[in-house]
Amino acid sequence: MRAMEVEDFGHHISRRFNEDLEHVRNSVLKMGGLVEEQLDRALQALSQADSELGLKVAHDDYKVNELEVAIDEECSKILATRSPAAIDLRLIVAVIKTITDLERIGDEAEKIGFLSARLATTDNAANNYRELRNLARHVTEMLHRTLDTFARLDAKEALAIVKSDEEVDQEYEAIYRQSITFMMEDPRSITRVMDLTWAARALERIGDHAKNICEYVIYMVHGKDVRHINVESIEARVVGKDVR
Amino acid sequence: MPRRWVSHLIYLGVWLLLASVLGAAFGRPSWWLVGALAIWLGVTLRRLYALDRTLDGHRSLAIIATSGLWAELLARVQRYKDKARYRKKKYHRLLREVRESTGALHDAGVILNQQNEIQWFNAAANRLLGLEASRDNGQRIDNLVRHPAFAAYLRGDSDNVIFVPSPKDPSSRLSVQVIPYSRHQRLAIFRDVTQEYRLERTRRDFVANASHELRSPLTVFGGYLDAMLGDDGIATAWRGPLAEMRRQTDRMARIVEDLLELSRLESSDSHASRNLVDVAAMLKAIGAELSEAPQHPSLSFDLDENTALLGDETLLHSIFQNLINNAVRFTPEGGSVEVAWKKSSAGVDLAVRDTGIGIPDDLIPRVTERFFRVDPGRSRAAGGTGLGLAIVKHALQKHGATLSITSQLGKGSEFTCHFPVERVAARGGMRQVAVQ
Repeated sequence: MRAMEVEDFGHHISRRFNEDLEHVRNSVLKMGGLVEEQLDRALQALSQADSELGLKVAHDDYKVNELEVAIDEECSKILATRSPAAIDLRLIVAVIKTITDLERIGDEAEKIGFLSARLATTDNAANNYRELRNLARHVTEMLHRTLDTFARLDAKEALAIVKSDEEVDQEYEAIYRQSITFMMEDPRSITRVMDLTWAARALERIGDHAKNICEYVIYMVHGKDVRHINVESIEARVVGKDVR
Repeated sequence: MPRRWVSHLIYLGVWLLLASVLGAAFGRPSWWLVGALAIWLGVTLRRLYALDRTLDGHRSLAIIATSGLWAELLARVQRYKDKARYRKKKYHRLLREVRESTGALHDAGVILNQQNEIQWFNAAANRLLGLEASRDNGQRIDNLVRHPAFAAYLRGDSDNVIFVPSPKDPSSRLSVQVIPYSRHQRLAIFRDVTQEYRLERTRRDFVANASHELRSPLTVFGGYLDAMLGDDGIATAWRGPLAEMRRQTDRMARIVEDLLELSRLESSDSHASRNLVDVAAMLKAIGAELSEAPQHPSLSFDLDENTALLGDETLLHSIFQNLINNAVRFTPEGGSVEVAWKKSSAGVDLAVRDTGIGIPDDLIPRVTERFFRVDPGRSRAAGGTGLGLAIVKHALQKHGATLSITSQLGKGSEFTCHFPVERVAARGGMRQVAVQ
């Protein structure tokens, strides 16, 4: 009778533990959803020269920050009270890192919001978005796939996203060069083009942060740290493990 | 006892009788009996074996006995098996038909359990949401459809419809409805409304742009008409027409302003800001403004001065002004208009009661439609734009408030705005804010 009670108690703890972990994971994705919406609206403000929306995005960044703090605290609590091991520990570590990157993505969206509010006042505001459209689409999709990967713990997809970051970098590079040409041709456009370049820069940074999150996903699934090494070695580690 | 058993036992009795008769004739009757029982047992075992194999699915062994208890037993087993197979086939076909029909649906259907985990979805869910059965069953749906509005909707119990961008294609719009259909399961239906959404947006943009473009020419008209009316050189015969033109220009300018305000309200889907607004003071100011007009009905106020509202000052002013203005316009001289600002159980209410002409019952639901008029000739003469109540409705929605209307034809109407409790604030707090 006594043994049964103890067993039941232990079972209860582990179920609560599972729920806690699951809750943390869901909170990260909730934060991700918020960040995605922020980015979406920032880009909408840019494309439609809607300064009001741009400022609203900048103002709403506090929601992302609040979530980061809340999740961080939750993670510390789990670390302190449950001392997780193996995959659980990796999940917590990955979450702590992921929310930092998500928060930064939120900051970049805030920046784009500000810039779009400023750009909306320029003469041909409707044209602002044209240069950035491709990059914006690419980065939005990348962020979306990253969060999907996090939800599905899909290391292969994560690897594909890490690879696609190169394209984002190239696109940014192209915009950067184009901007320099514009500024040399017509010095009056410098203010506008500089702002646009900043927006492009913010998008490129978002791509980098998304890539980081993908690396945490790979770490979480395979327990291998794949930061700061080239894509081929990551592939060798991930695929090698998959083949087994 | 069934007859087959009776005859079976008779067979056994005859068999044993035969053995004992032969035993009595040839000697060693007990050996004869044992032999007879052994044969009986052997046959029984053989048939049991056949039955067992039949149940395993070996059909050919069923013809072991041609009559009697065993034959009947085997036949019955066979019948049950056939029936089961037939049922299985039927259910298979039914299931396939259900699958095919849900697969043919254009709307995505996803079955969720209590934790919002995906249990099952149809083919359209793959097309609209990008779900894959192999990896997404058991995943929480708000982890994949991450739009904050959807998460908030899932938590709430509301059964109305919301719109979110598709996770697969951000430029498209899906309408979502979640229907609980058993204690543990809910059905989420996603419908692609991109076309309607774009059309609606085009319409909104068109109205906004058209109104915007109309504003500047109207200002020019108004300016020149003013100048002409002030010019003594204009023939007196033209004075009347010019004054009428001036009035119509004003009216058109008001309509354009209202249209612009309405499209502004419609285009932003965010909630109204939460600034502290002293409603009592605002209502009094509106009342004072209206009292300056000639021949107005008597205005009385019953205001709870200590209750303020958290909201958007411009929008609230627009709501109150429209409601009170309407009441005054549709109440003949000698009537009365009462404005009450009172706390209620669910928050705080603003009620505007008049003793005016009233609204027919069947038209009450339509009065908040744009350009809807109960009595077209009369309201136009009263100087309305036909957009006032539409603006009120939208502005109230931004505050999470609702409008209720009761009316009796010829006796008067009552318009009540119900503001939710989270928008209510104490006026004492306002002073503190002001000091800071």
